[in-house]
Amino acid sequence: MAETPDAIRKSIRTYLFVGAVLFIGTVVTVMVATVPWLDVGNHGFDAWDAVLGLAIATTKASLVAAVFMHLNHEKKAVYWLFGSGIVFVTALFGLTALAKSDPIHDSRFYGKESVTPAPLASPTLR
Amino acid sequence: MEIPYIVTPRKDTGLFNSKIAIWLFLASEVMLFGGFFSAYVFLRIGADYPWPERTLPVLPGLINTFILIGSSVTVVFAWASLKMRQWRRFQFFMTVTIACAAIFMVLKGLEYNVKFHHQAVRLPDYTVIEGHLGYEKEKGKEVLDHHGRKIEENRILIEASGLTFSTVRFHTPWVEELLSQAAHRNAKITLAEDVSAITREGQAVGILAKAGEPLSPALLERLQEAHLEARSHNGALRTAALREKWTAAKAENPGKRGWQIASGVNIDATALEPKLLTEIGTVAFKVDPPARMNFKPRDVREGDTQSRLRDDTVIDGKLLASPMVFHNVDAIDFRHLAMKAVEKGQDPMAAIENSWLINNHAFAREAWEWNKAEVAKLEKTLIATYKVDPKTGKPNREPTAKERYRIGWKEFAKKAEDAGRPKLGFWGRISEEFKGPNYAARGEETFPHLSLPREQIGFSSKFTPAWNTYYAIYFTITGLHGLHVIGGALVLAYYLFFGRKMYESNPEWLANRVEIGGLFWHFVDLVWIFAFPIFYLM
Amino acid sequence: MPHAGTMSSHATTHPGHAAPHEDHHHDPGFIRKYVFSTDHKMIGLQYGITAMCFLAFGFYLMMVMRWSIAYPHQPLPEWMSWIFTDGWKARWLQDGKVTGETYNMFGAMHGTIMVFLGIVPLGFGAFGNYVTPLQIGAPDMAFPRLNMASYWVYLLGGLVMCTSFFMESGAAKSGWTNYSPLAGFADGQVVNPWLAGQTQWLIGLVLLITSSLLGSVNFITTIINLRARGMTWMRMPFFVWSMLVTGFLLLLAFPPLEAAGIMQLADRVFHSSFFMPSGLFTKSEGLADLSGGGSPLLFQHLFWFLGHPEVYVLLLPAFACVAEIIPVNTRKPLWGYKSMVYSVLVLGFLSFIVWAHHMYMTGMGAAVSTFFQTTTVLISVPSVVIITAMLISLWGGSIRFTPPMMWACAFIPMFGIGGLTGLPLAFNLADLHLHDTYYVIGHFHYVVAPGILFGLFAGVLHWYPKITGRYMSGWLNHLHFWPSLVCMNLIFFPMLLQGMAGFHRRWYNGGDAYLSKAADSTNVFGNTVAQHIDMNILMSMGAWTLALAQIPFIINLFVSWKTGKKVESDNPWNATTLEWATPTPPGHGNFTFDPAVYRGPYEYSRPDSVQDYIPQWETPKKSKPDH
Repeated sequence: MAETPDAIRKSIRTYLFVGAVLFIGTVVTVMVATVPWLDVGNHGFDAWDAVLGLAIATTKASLVAAVFMHLNHEKKAVYWLFGSGIVFVTALFGLTALAKSDPIHDSRFYGKESVTPAPLASPTLR
Repeated sequence: MEIPYIVTPRKDTGLFNSKIAIWLFLASEVMLFGGFFSAYVFLRIGADYPWPERTLPVLPGLINTFILIGSSVTVVFAWASLKMRQWRRFQFFMTVTIACAAIFMVLKGLEYNVKFHHQAVRLPDYTVIEGHLGYEKEKGKEVLDHHGRKIEENRILIEASGLTFSTVRFHTPWVEELLSQAAHRNAKITLAEDVSAITREGQAVGILAKAGEPLSPALLERLQEAHLEARSHNGALRTAALREKWTAAKAENPGKRGWQIASGVNIDATALEPKLLTEIGTVAFKVDPPARMNFKPRDVREGDTQSRLRDDTVIDGKLLASPMVFHNVDAIDFRHLAMKAVEKGQDPMAAIENSWLINNHAFAREAWEWNKAEVAKLEKTLIATYKVDPKTGKPNREPTAKERYRIGWKEFAKKAEDAGRPKLGFWGRISEEFKGPNYAARGEETFPHLSLPREQIGFSSKFTPAWNTYYAIYFTITGLHGLHVIGGALVLAYYLFFGRKMYESNPEWLANRVEIGGLFWHFVDLVWIFAFPIFYLM
Repeated sequence: MPHAGTMSSHATTHPGHAAPHEDHHHDPGFIRKYVFSTDHKMIGLQYGITAMCFLAFGFYLMMVMRWSIAYPHQPLPEWMSWIFTDGWKARWLQDGKVTGETYNMFGAMHGTIMVFLGIVPLGFGAFGNYVTPLQIGAPDMAFPRLNMASYWVYLLGGLVMCTSFFMESGAAKSGWTNYSPLAGFADGQVVNPWLAGQTQWLIGLVLLITSSLLGSVNFITTIINLRARGMTWMRMPFFVWSMLVTGFLLLLAFPPLEAAGIMQLADRVFHSSFFMPSGLFTKSEGLADLSGGGSPLLFQHLFWFLGHPEVYVLLLPAFACVAEIIPVNTRKPLWGYKSMVYSVLVLGFLSFIVWAHHMYMTGMGAAVSTFFQTTTVLISVPSVVIITAMLISLWGGSIRFTPPMMWACAFIPMFGIGGLTGLPLAFNLADLHLHDTYYVIGHFHYVVAPGILFGLFAGVLHWYPKITGRYMSGWLNHLHFWPSLVCMNLIFFPMLLQGMAGFHRRWYNGGDAYLSKAADSTNVFGNTVAQHIDMNILMSMGAWTLALAQIPFIINLFVSWKTGKKVESDNPWNATTLEWATPTPPGHGNFTFDPAVYRGPYEYSRPDSVQDYIPQWETPKKSKPDH
């Protein structure tokens, strides 16, 4: 626990390091989204770009939470308190998205004979 | 009475009170922003229009990200300085943090400002045109409205000859607006005929207002008062009469349910007639001479000879042609049109070639042909780099819908530069990233002029939440995030400017407070870390 | 402190009001003491009184609605309509009859007021505030000024919502669920969207969410950090556990609704299309001047993400009160205290992942429906564990039928009916038939009215002696209790029958419009309506009688304050939990000694003890309190 002045002095190097990593992470996100030869998946934006972008963002966010917000050495109670928010927000994300694209429309979920309804208007164009 | 554990942590939990509270608050903030971000996901998955991906200029967002990350580092240093009891260092780092917040908000403001002065129109065939909308210029100058302001949004024009107000629902600012529009056209709005009414029970008809009396909110208010009084008087009488009827009906039909006899129980209108007062629901005015008036599309339900405002004011008069033109078109977007064509099973390219815009404006056809050539070039490059799939015979990578169907302002600029227009310098281009396309420097050859008949304006809006759900969620999340930045900066500024006293008496307490404020600040940074890629890069 | 650990003698040293605990701080003055108080007890009372006023108002709205349902063709009688001015009546009633628009307005506001302004503030705000710090041995809430802010923001939110009754647009009319796109369009004729009742509703809601956020942060912090010495987690009374879980539900379930509220506000004021699908037409306006492309389902998801935990926010305080009252009045420990605690935690967790059982009819897909059906059935397990534990707690006890105990005993079967009638609604196939019928109304009201409200009445009677130093009158309570019990069932049981017969919950005229079909023998639905429509009159009579039955309670509440029988000691019920260790009424700072806890919360009729109860704070012969 970085509570004593000495410990804090030691961790300043860590803070600077994390700050640098965050800057680099930001540059990387922008580059994979804008430089054509770094583009993953298909040409232009697609699911892989989303996964990569969010993965970098999650890494950055975890670094902020762990180091700047001291979650790497916090009391157990804080994990419970904040963790509950994370758990339920995941439920909110997952279940609303699930309700929007119900797996029952997927033939792998329900066997090949399932009646597939006409696809909803799709935003992606060929 | 002392509340324990304000400064020192409780032994078994290891936490002081406000630390628990801030983490709880942050958990709730996670849920709040989680609600918005899941709304983003939901809206994006379910969008029935082409989601405007990678549409915002990246540079301002990138700089803002750097600024917020930097401020996150400095706020940690500020806290560390306090822990090490270095007041001067604390002051320095905290000042930098707050300055970062200020720069962030200024950049955000610039970004918003561009969108608030940039219009888009969706044609009935789902072609989208973006640019700078307004009235046709006269002698090279913008036409101003009756307030002396530039008109930048679609307007409905009506040659008004008569106005009928609802005495209950008229909206005073709108009445004043109509008066000022009429005055601008040197027309007078006067009462069309005498308003006569019975205002006391049993009295004769009296004249409340004479024909020819000029329109004023005061006049309408006077008539409204008379109307409301008559309405409540009549309502009470009618209620009493109906009650009597029901008492009688129940006595006549013992044992029957209400619904069995209801059809036979009615108010005796003729017996009641002499006691009633006159209700003045509407009052008609004439406009002399008939004057051209303009209205916002959302406020008026237009018709060829009669239109109605949202406050139930009926406007008699001919609907005129739309005066709206694009001074500069800076984007033509066929993605929505192409998507609709695919849904109908048509060829999107054919649908675009048949669209109203291509067939009525030579520049649009020219731009479209140019863009087709560009896409062909891109296709070639992609095949050369990424090859063709030997199994299917299709290229591994293909141009996106955006590249195929959208001619954005950068494409327009490139096209003009290819044709020999002078290029903008480095700083000119950087400034365009912040301020949007520079019409003055690039000229009408780059961003052409276009006039649109009224029936071709399907839906028009500035780039505000009203334009589509993407901008709606963009403004909501970034706006709310901006409010958090301001709130957090205010709290941190309070510690900076008013913390000295507490630093001297109880430095540990101040360090605790700065830690709490810092935790919130990091959270604000954390939200932005997700908001930036989601809105700017995806 | 001289009294530490010798509470049995302590109780007798401070009889009645004359607690000499005010000597170490001066009188704060009327405004600070009664209006802008930061004392959790005063804030609790403020919450309680305000919430009861809102409950009465919500009840009144319901009485008018019941008139419209029972007698749709007859003018509202004088005894109900005198409250309005002639002008208001002329605007909202047609020849004195309730119009559909007015009915919708009253219906929406009845639901909103009862849920958000009545029961949550009464259960969580009032009882939670008053009792929780006392039961854990804390001097006050962790953040007293935040607590005060929470109350005032709540009051402001409530007033913002209710003042819209007097605006030109009237109050919100789109149901308490405020579904878009209806709620996005409603009052669209009002030129200034900020002045429409529908918008005021949203503003009020955002304020209420802010209030409950402040409250819940405060509660959880208090419970975690301000527990007295020796008050370990498993020594906390069940009441405190319930409040902890309720706090978490409010903390985490409300923000998504706040998000939805802000988005709906944007839809209304900035004409965005978050919840507006493409190609919307309205009756009066034709094609809506909107971009479209939004999703009405999104609103439902975000609303019910709150909406279902909200049910438990309503319920848990009632559970909490009843769980405290039963052991005191049976003189035996709460049966299965630990299983109840774990159940309430599981209940809290599961309540977050059941929300879409309100949305089976939206066509969201069978796989998701199956998921939510499963979790919904699962969540009935912890509720049944709790209610069964309460029931078994009665077994073999020497039950004292004190006034609070009567309500607690009635709570169990009434809530039982409410809970069990919910099961058919949990199954998506059964829900296809029952959705949006009076069955849903009956189910929900069985939970809330004779369930939760009975639990809260029990709480009022139970803690009244601590708050005032006097008992509430027993015979007035009889006048209140028995008619209430009868009337509640008279109102809500027929609803279940009508609902199964297909009566829609939003008929403003009680099905009258379908009667013309009844003459046609081939029209089954017309006949069904004709067979069940007379129940409307019975139910309405029940509702109005229920109003009369509340009068003894109101009299009792105020008159007993001055004239009730005085309590004999600080612990009149001979209870074990810490709130009874305080002076009566507790002063600022609550305890006159340093509270410490030595045992579990429900130590009644221990064979090794002379008394039939051992208070939590009583010093054991040998051992020391745990730290």
